[in-house]
Amino acid sequence: MSTTSRTELTPILHADQLLKQVRSGERQLTILSGLGLTVFPGESVAILGQSGAGKSTLLGLLAGLDAPSGGTLELFGQPLGELDEDGRARLRAGRVGFVFQNFQLLPTLTALENVLLPLELTPQTDAEARARDWLTRVGLGERLDHLPKQLSGGEQQRVALARAFVTGAELVFADEPTGNLDPATGERIIAALFELNQEAGTTLVLVTHDHALARRCDRCLRLEGGRLEEMAMDEVSA
Amino acid sequence: MSDANHPGALTRLLRFSLRGLVRDLRAADVRALFIALALAVAASTMIGFFLDRLDKGLTRQAGQLLGGDLVLEQGDPFEQEVRDTLENAGLVLSDQVDMVSMVSHGDAFQVASLKVVDSVYPHFGANHVDRGDGVELLDHGPPPGEAWLAPRLALLIEVEVGDRIRVGETELGVGGLIEREADQSAGFGSFNPRLMMHVDDLSATNLVQPGSRVEFEILAAGPAEAVAGVQPLLERLRRDGVEVRDVRQDRPGLGNALERAEKYLSLAGLAAVLLAGVAVAMATRRYVDRHLDTAALMRCFGATQAELTRLFALQLMWLALAASVVGALLGLAGQAALLGLLTTFLPLELPPPGVLPLWLGILTALSVLVGFAGPTLLRLKRVSALKVLRRELDPLPASAWVVVAAAALVFGGLLWLYSGDPLLSAGLLVGGLAMLVVLWWVGNLLLGLLFRLASRLPRRGGQDGGLVQALRLGGQQLARRRQASLGQLLAFSVTFFAVAMIFLVRGDLLTTWQDQLPEDTPNYFAINIQPGERDAFSTVLEGAVDARSALYPMVRGRITALNGEPPREMVPPEARGDNALRRELNLTWQERLPEGNRLVAGEWFDALGSDALDNDEFEGWMTAVDAQPIADASPAPVPMSMEDGLAERFGMELGDTLTFTIGSAEVVGELASLRNLDWDSFRPNFYVIFPPGVLERFGHSYITAFHLNDAENDTLRQLVRDFPGVSLLNIDAILGQVRDVLTQVTRAVELVLAFVLLAGVSVLYAALTASRPVRAHESGLLRVFGAGNRLLSRVQGAEFAILGLASGLMGALLAELAAAGIYLAWFDLAPRFHWGLWLALPLGGALLIGVIGHLLSRDLRRQAPAASLGLLGET
Repeated sequence: MSTTSRTELTPILHADQLLKQVRSGERQLTILSGLGLTVFPGESVAILGQSGAGKSTLLGLLAGLDAPSGGTLELFGQPLGELDEDGRARLRAGRVGFVFQNFQLLPTLTALENVLLPLELTPQTDAEARARDWLTRVGLGERLDHLPKQLSGGEQQRVALARAFVTGAELVFADEPTGNLDPATGERIIAALFELNQEAGTTLVLVTHDHALARRCDRCLRLEGGRLEEMAMDEVSA
Repeated sequence: MSDANHPGALTRLLRFSLRGLVRDLRAADVRALFIALALAVAASTMIGFFLDRLDKGLTRQAGQLLGGDLVLEQGDPFEQEVRDTLENAGLVLSDQVDMVSMVSHGDAFQVASLKVVDSVYPHFGANHVDRGDGVELLDHGPPPGEAWLAPRLALLIEVEVGDRIRVGETELGVGGLIEREADQSAGFGSFNPRLMMHVDDLSATNLVQPGSRVEFEILAAGPAEAVAGVQPLLERLRRDGVEVRDVRQDRPGLGNALERAEKYLSLAGLAAVLLAGVAVAMATRRYVDRHLDTAALMRCFGATQAELTRLFALQLMWLALAASVVGALLGLAGQAALLGLLTTFLPLELPPPGVLPLWLGILTALSVLVGFAGPTLLRLKRVSALKVLRRELDPLPASAWVVVAAAALVFGGLLWLYSGDPLLSAGLLVGGLAMLVVLWWVGNLLLGLLFRLASRLPRRGGQDGGLVQALRLGGQQLARRRQASLGQLLAFSVTFFAVAMIFLVRGDLLTTWQDQLPEDTPNYFAINIQPGERDAFSTVLEGAVDARSALYPMVRGRITALNGEPPREMVPPEARGDNALRRELNLTWQERLPEGNRLVAGEWFDALGSDALDNDEFEGWMTAVDAQPIADASPAPVPMSMEDGLAERFGMELGDTLTFTIGSAEVVGELASLRNLDWDSFRPNFYVIFPPGVLERFGHSYITAFHLNDAENDTLRQLVRDFPGVSLLNIDAILGQVRDVLTQVTRAVELVLAFVLLAGVSVLYAALTASRPVRAHESGLLRVFGAGNRLLSRVQGAEFAILGLASGLMGALLAELAAAGIYLAWFDLAPRFHWGLWLALPLGGALLIGVIGHLLSRDLRRQAPAASLGLLGET
């Protein structure tokens, strides 16, 4: 995606002067300060950073899971500051997918039921067929009725991938999707993630410290000192 | 789901919630919730169904005793219009004529009580008649030309089945001996032996003459609506002086015993509901903990708070409905079992139970769910979506006081619904909440004390340490988890309290019932003892019987004026047909208040002072009686004591006067005191008592009651032989029936007690389930640090036993206080102190919770530490 074409589009995600402070006892901790970010539809963006840099906090804010202490944030062109928590939830429904480091599968639900979960929130007539289809795409067509504890870590994350894309989400957030996996499995998950992303034409925002993963994105940003800096691709490879 | 108006949204939500529940059935907390709710429904429907059917059954039985659902009685034949109105309303009528007449066979004569019946008789039940081939149950009366006699009458006029007897101007064949009549309406108010005959033979007897003492009755049977439909007619008839007995209004009760039993059952039902509620509250905590991740994930996927609330509320509603169905079935089975225990006393065919108890049961389940689980469930809706990224972000637990307040509100509502008494419900609720505050405080103190005590225990023992080490570790663990332990302590205390209270009240009820009808309760009444026979009769009874009442003189008098005016004009309209106005009353005189009577207003004669009896006015009145059988002017009044119920029916107050016509003289009594009588006592009871010196001059006989064992038949024979004029009435059958009722009601009470115990166990199960993850974590840690299986087992056992001991102590305190309150407020019994409780509850509690808790934690001890520690985070 070229820079010129980007500017003509409406950003899917736009943050300006984003501030996040938390109280820790008597002290006020500033985690993010004056942060800006614009993501356009179809882009894949990696946010890299050290442990404790505030990557997960940023992801929570961008997805509207948490409210910033200052600044503006727009998701799908809608200022999140104008919405309450329920309003932000409604905005996400069916349009935002998530992939988590610890998979976040419900242990009492089978693979199929876990994938069906987000579909329960949007009117779908062929929900089950779609869920089966996406599980088949991630190679788990034979394991629909397995509970998470009967699946390996990689398989669990593939279920999570199917769950993220099944609603036809326009934007998928991924929080360290390979963080809990061995390198080989992580590779396979990365391949699957980008394959699905390609197929669905989804915008992808992922937070990671895995440079191999970041390299596959269109853009890489580094979170440091509460701000984001654009990184050159060769910098990522280093 | 995000668009609630979408046509498929509701269906999808319902389906989704149902699927979620089905998946959840594997979880222990959902099972605990299900069991608790089902028990609440079972207890309330069982008792609801049972009381409903019991009420219908008793009405039916009362109808049988009365002879119909509605009985009209007057001295003249009824007009056709009355008959038509009753029949048009859908009632089936049976005519009956009662009179007293001489019956003869050869030279033998006897006054008999004639009951003339038609072909419809009896409406309910059957006559037990011996027609020569043993006793048969016949659903009809004697056919025309036949008479059925009480065995005593047959004996007195020396006839057998097949003989012919003379009744008035006709002859009838003796068709059978009546062992028991289908209806006992005449009771033993009529002392003459029974003769039953057909109405077709009545005119031939020529006994119904102008001025003869005949009672005409219409016995009507039909549904309650039909009786309700003729109320205007009944009101008019009552005003005209017709005696109207409506089985639903004038049901002759089986006394206080059953009324208390009904109250007890309601109380026990409520206790079961309360315990189920506590179990629901405990299980909900775990349910919510388990679903926090689901809720956070759903928030993340775009679910609003309202959608989450709807989802989980629906899920639990499915659970409540399923539990209601299972509970209602259990309740139906339970009530069938309860009724099975009461078969010998209830009519064989009971009306089926109504549906109201079922709705009440479902309402109970939903209320318990909303009240006891509601505030805790709201936590799910408050979960932050950010929890998916930061696990520690759990919403704050609902404030304990909010939980208690919601539960109290709902339970108070249920109390009101079931007891129908808002004041009592409010009182119980406020009392309960006050106790909870005390418990909270005492519990906190106990836990603090426990921690200090446990910490002072010596540290010794190794991996498999001894009892002291187990007590130290167990006590410390318990005290450290202050809030969770306090919750369990309260739940167990309330459980022990409820079970103990139901047990206590049961025991005291039974004792009271046994005291009420001791072994030597009089089973014979002797009437018509002449003054000349009095001392001799007394001498025969002396030493020969276990117990006897005093000999009461009896004079028969008719009420002819109230405050100097015709009584029917003076009493409230509904009392115009009262038996007491239509028949002669048995009057007596007594110097002292008779045994079993309680003065409720005014003063007894001795307190009025001798002046009241010996004054000139009184003397003058006596002279007037002597001189003038019927005085032109009313004689001066003398004090009299009256039964409070009759005075109330007549609208009489102290100072009002009643004029009695005795023979051809009049006596005017001034109401000096009101007495409350124990009608269940099986002793002679009198509506009106005069002081000595007033009635002696009239013809009188004596009545007494005594208890005679079967073995003392010699005494009976001697009495019959020496006092041929005295009538002896054996009331063993009635006494037996009342005893049967008490025995069976006792069994019913025990069955209900079992239900309360089950509800108590459900609390244990729910509480232990709820605390399982924390315990698993702790034992996992101990295991990691090298604790052996034996130590773990002992620590857990010690912890549960300490919890049980403390809960037992607190439960005993509560039960003692509550039982005292309930005795005073509800059962009208004096409170007693229960020493056994203070021993049994703490020790039993320690043993019960120790053993059950230990057993339920067995698999935790077998688990590898990794698995135990993993349990905590599991959803």
